[in-house]
Amino acid sequence: MQLLREKGPASLDETSVMLFESALAEIGANVLTHGRRDGPNDAPVQYKLKLEGHMALATFVDRGPPVHNHLTRAMPEPTSETGRGLAIARQVLDELGYERDGEINTWRLVKRL
Amino acid sequence: MSLDVQTRQTEAGVTVVVPSGRLDVAGAPALKEAIGDAIKNGPSRLVIDMEGVSFVDSTGLGSVIAALKLVRGNKGDLRLAAPNQQVRVVLELTTLDRVFAYYPTVEDALTDF
Repeated sequence: MQLLREKGPASLDETSVMLFESALAEIGANVLTHGRRDGPNDAPVQYKLKLEGHMALATFVDRGPPVHNHLTRAMPEPTSETGRGLAIARQVLDELGYERDGEINTWRLVKRL
Repeated sequence: MSLDVQTRQTEAGVTVVVPSGRLDVAGAPALKEAIGDAIKNGPSRLVIDMEGVSFVDSTGLGSVIAALKLVRGNKGDLRLAAPNQQVRVVLELTTLDRVFAYYPTVEDALTDF
């Protein structure tokens, strides 16, 4: 993200960059935690980030269990200590894609900055 | 990078907890520990000075909610001071701004507390 701030066009909207970083942190933490749940702790996770003009696109690929049932989870009650990650990411992104292909999860995060 | 947490006591007996760094998956345990220490001697009034927190994620938020529940369960109360824009946006997205009283500065948070 630092690279994106430094090398990206100066006209990037700082609030959008900040929100994109929030979504990246949420999906990234999710992938690193759940994406390795059934496998070894060092199971590889693939992460790519690119900026095309003002469109930021990130993908995460992991080999964890499928997570379809978490995708549409609503924002939990204020007293809940967990379960907000995906809801935050969904709210701040222009697009949050998830695909299960065989044993592989692919996440796609898109936001105009 | 982990979160650094300092704690100080005001003359009026309010505990000010001052985390600095990223309040995320890696940083949340340090805040939880500091809050746990701060309230173990009975009912407490706590202010978390968020000025040095550059970024918060859902796990970091979870630790603040856990702190709020601990403190209120102990007949005390907790206020947040000086959250940056990213923290404020995440609090609003998650509707936690309805649960937490937050103040622009530590001095404001300490007034009438």
